Amino acid sequence: MSSKQTNLLQGTLDLLILKALGAGENHGLGISRRIDQITQGTFLVKPGSLFPALHRLEEAGWLSSFWGESENNRRAKFYRLTKAGKAQMDVETKQWQTIAMAMANALKATT
Amino acid sequence: MNSLSWLRSLLANLLRKEKIERQLDYELRAYVEMATDEKVAAGVSASEARRTTLADFGGIEQVKQSVRDHRAGSSFEVLYLDVRYGWRQLVRNPGFTAAVIVTLALSIGANTAIFSIVNALMLKGLPYPAPERIGTIFWRIEGSQPFDGRSEIDGEHWELLRDSVPSVVGAVLSPLSSGANLQAGQSVQYVRAGRVSAHYFDVLGVLPVVGRAFTANEDRPHGPKAVILSYGLWRTTFHADPHLIGQTIDLKGEPYTVVGVLPVSASTPLNADLYIDLQPSRQGEGSSTNFGVILRLRDGANWQQADAEINNAWAAPAHHFVDEFHRGSKISFYTVPLQRGQRADLRPKALTLMLAAGFILLIACANLAGLTVVRMARRTSEIATRMALGASRWHIRRQLWIENLLLALIGGAVGIGVGFLALRGLLSLLPPDYLPVAGVSPDGRVLAFSLVASILTSVLFGMLPVLALKQIALRSFMASRTIAGVERLRFRQTLIAGEVALTVVLLAASGLLIRTLIHLQSLPPGFNPQGVMTAKASLDDARYRDPAAFDSMLNESTAAMERIPGVQSAAVGLSLPYERALNNGMTLGSGPQRGQQAMSGEIYVSPSYFATLEIPLLAGRGFTSSDRRGSQPVAIVNRSFVRKYFGGVNPVGQTLDKEGTIIIGVTEDVTLAPHAEQVNDPLGSEPITYIPATQADPRMLAVVHAWFQPSWIVRTSAPIQGLPGQMQRALSSVDPGLPFSGFYSMTDHLAQSLATQRVEVALLGAMAGLALLLSAVGIFALVANMVAQRTREIGLRIALGSTIRQAMAHVAAPGIRSSAIGIVLGLIVCLGVLRVMRSVLYGVSIYDAPSMAGVVVVLTLVTMFATIIPTLRIAKTDPATTLRDE
Repeated sequence: MSSKQTNLLQGTLDLLILKALGAGENHGLGISRRIDQITQGTFLVKPGSLFPALHRLEEAGWLSSFWGESENNRRAKFYRLTKAGKAQMDVETKQWQTIAMAMANALKATT
Repeated sequence: MNSLSWLRSLLANLLRKEKIERQLDYELRAYVEMATDEKVAAGVSASEARRTTLADFGGIEQVKQSVRDHRAGSSFEVLYLDVRYGWRQLVRNPGFTAAVIVTLALSIGANTAIFSIVNALMLKGLPYPAPERIGTIFWRIEGSQPFDGRSEIDGEHWELLRDSVPSVVGAVLSPLSSGANLQAGQSVQYVRAGRVSAHYFDVLGVLPVVGRAFTANEDRPHGPKAVILSYGLWRTTFHADPHLIGQTIDLKGEPYTVVGVLPVSASTPLNADLYIDLQPSRQGEGSSTNFGVILRLRDGANWQQADAEINNAWAAPAHHFVDEFHRGSKISFYTVPLQRGQRADLRPKALTLMLAAGFILLIACANLAGLTVVRMARRTSEIATRMALGASRWHIRRQLWIENLLLALIGGAVGIGVGFLALRGLLSLLPPDYLPVAGVSPDGRVLAFSLVASILTSVLFGMLPVLALKQIALRSFMASRTIAGVERLRFRQTLIAGEVALTVVLLAASGLLIRTLIHLQSLPPGFNPQGVMTAKASLDDARYRDPAAFDSMLNESTAAMERIPGVQSAAVGLSLPYERALNNGMTLGSGPQRGQQAMSGEIYVSPSYFATLEIPLLAGRGFTSSDRRGSQPVAIVNRSFVRKYFGGVNPVGQTLDKEGTIIIGVTEDVTLAPHAEQVNDPLGSEPITYIPATQADPRMLAVVHAWFQPSWIVRTSAPIQGLPGQMQRALSSVDPGLPFSGFYSMTDHLAQSLATQRVEVALLGAMAGLALLLSAVGIFALVANMVAQRTREIGLRIALGSTIRQAMAHVAAPGIRSSAIGIVLGLIVCLGVLRVMRSVLYGVSIYDAPSMAGVVVVLTLVTMFATIIPTLRIAKTDPATTLRDE
């Protein structure tokens, strides 16, 4: 378990999942590993949060799923972004950037 | 969010649950296996890899559950599961469930029944268009004799109201019921006639289906005689003849032109078979306050405007009135919605009953809370286990609420059923036309009330255990099974004391009403009510305006009745004992108050009236057949009259009034219904003047016969078979056009005059009985529960040498103690609360020792039974087995 692990901000997980799937379809473990990788180990997503989020995003219509074979030939449920999911990712990315910029400015400001 | 995809998932989740579950299981397992594969690839042993993966995973079942919780429709499903679980819990505890449902059913039933009546009386609108625009006028007199309420008006007030109050349409009516003889074909029938002024039906908004309402011309004194028929009478008596309009019918011995027929469903507050024009004026009955008044606001006007106009229009007569009767007082008038005005006297009674029904609900709540606390204690281990298995406190709390609501709904539904049955029983108990409403049918409002009442009850009794859950510490829960036993006992004892206190109040209240009824029923009648049969007929008939015809008809009809075999004597009187007499004012002709105004009841009688009713003559002589028109006017007064106006000194031989009537005798007081202005009692005595029927003023007869139907009285030595038929035949032999309206024994008259009291006793008594039952059940449950819980302790005590009697006393003590506290508390509450009953009590003080003693005795006995019966089980206790029990 990573010592640098940080609690996920509310709403962050959804964006991270969408982002992780931006590179292409993947299964649960793959998504989890990909998030670990793209955040350089800052966020470690546990199954207890990952799966509810995946099912929720699928119900919202942002992800679709299908059954496929993993690298080592195990049957696994794969997720991929839908069109709506891509649009959602853009919206959330913009939102996040606005917040991040505002936070950065706020913290840089001299009192 | 894409709602279409959400809907699709919802349907899939609900309909293809198994498939979805299987896929979820597969997905999660694949994750675990892939993660294990990774670790094995990194060189960890297969078993170690699997163990650490699973540990990291955090419990497959928990992850599944959290996925399920996030699914579309998960809340429905959880609710369904909770309801199913709750249902199973209820089925598994049939004793508890039955106790709760029966308690709820009884208390909700009582509330539903009472609320139905309150609803019909006070909440439902009158059955007329725009009922909020119909009103009546209240009088407010401020001063030494304050008054605030509806009052009749005289002809002067009526004319001023009709002519000088432009913002309303007004109408007057005669509030006294009037009977009339209607000739239809060969036979004459007795009908109820309403006497109303021209715009009466306009005010109510009831338009005749055939024909028209009365015209202004018909409203004038001595105007054309017109009649409007009710639909029922038109159909039954006149076979719905459409050509009847414009024709004349023979009513009251005169031709009346039928001008209209009311709609089939129309009812008026007078509830008559037909309506004739009152022709109100300042003369005759209009010379005194004999008219009831109703108003309808004209379009564009408001009630403030109407109030101002009425006060203005009536300023002059109000001034006179104050000068004459209420010197120094201030008098004003204000309009009141007819609904409120009509039912003003029933309102406090209905509210009292509603309060009593509320008490029942509180008592039921206390019982149910007690039961629930015990049940929670029994369920501690179940709840602790569920919490240990991961159920959140919120989840458990929700579960308990769902169980309570389930109980509330079932109990409420049964309660509504019980309520409707009780209501039907109740209405059959009431005398006909007792409630001034067409019907008491439960409507949506009643259903909503019952539902809210049952849910509120469940919230009240369910809240306590749920709050108690806050204090549950999981560990101590598991460790000890009797945690907080002492506090729980104290809590239940408080509940019992509270409900016993409420029961004391209800019992005391009904005790006082019962004592009132007994007092009224056992008043000395002042005559012999046994062996008397009476019958009424209407003499409001053109043929009897002629005094000679009236005199000879009375003489011949009584003589004909005396010829019936077995009849000892027969008489006629304008009114009877137990009835209200005609109220009459006169100027006293002698005695200490000579020249002053005196009010008394006036009854015209035939000579044998006193002998037939066996009213004792205290002084002087009775009437004879030689007291007739043209001879010296004579009168007989009663004991109350002598006491009030002659200081108790024998007045025989003195003049009664300024007309020179001579008092020839004094009789004993008889019990009758006094006038409300003088005494409030439903039965009692008041000053009465008797005059010979054959000396009654013909002008007075015409007016009085529109209000009163005189009674023929027959005394028999033994019951006679078919007496009513023989009486009717005797009357018909004198006048074939004179039907009796009904036959009553004196017991019937007594019962009728005490109908209100009887209903009050029945209703409040039933509720007090219910409260007593519920309290007894509460005490019983407390003690029974103590016995069950303390079996071991009792066994120990007996093993250590305690006698069974001591053990029983030990266990029963908390029940007896809380009941005793409740009784004392209740008696204290009674001191304050029962004061509101003063207006309905007669001959009994509110601090009535026998009633209070009765309450204490009844509750003590009930407490004894409720505590002794469950403790009897102790006698069967074998100490050896109980000690081994745990």
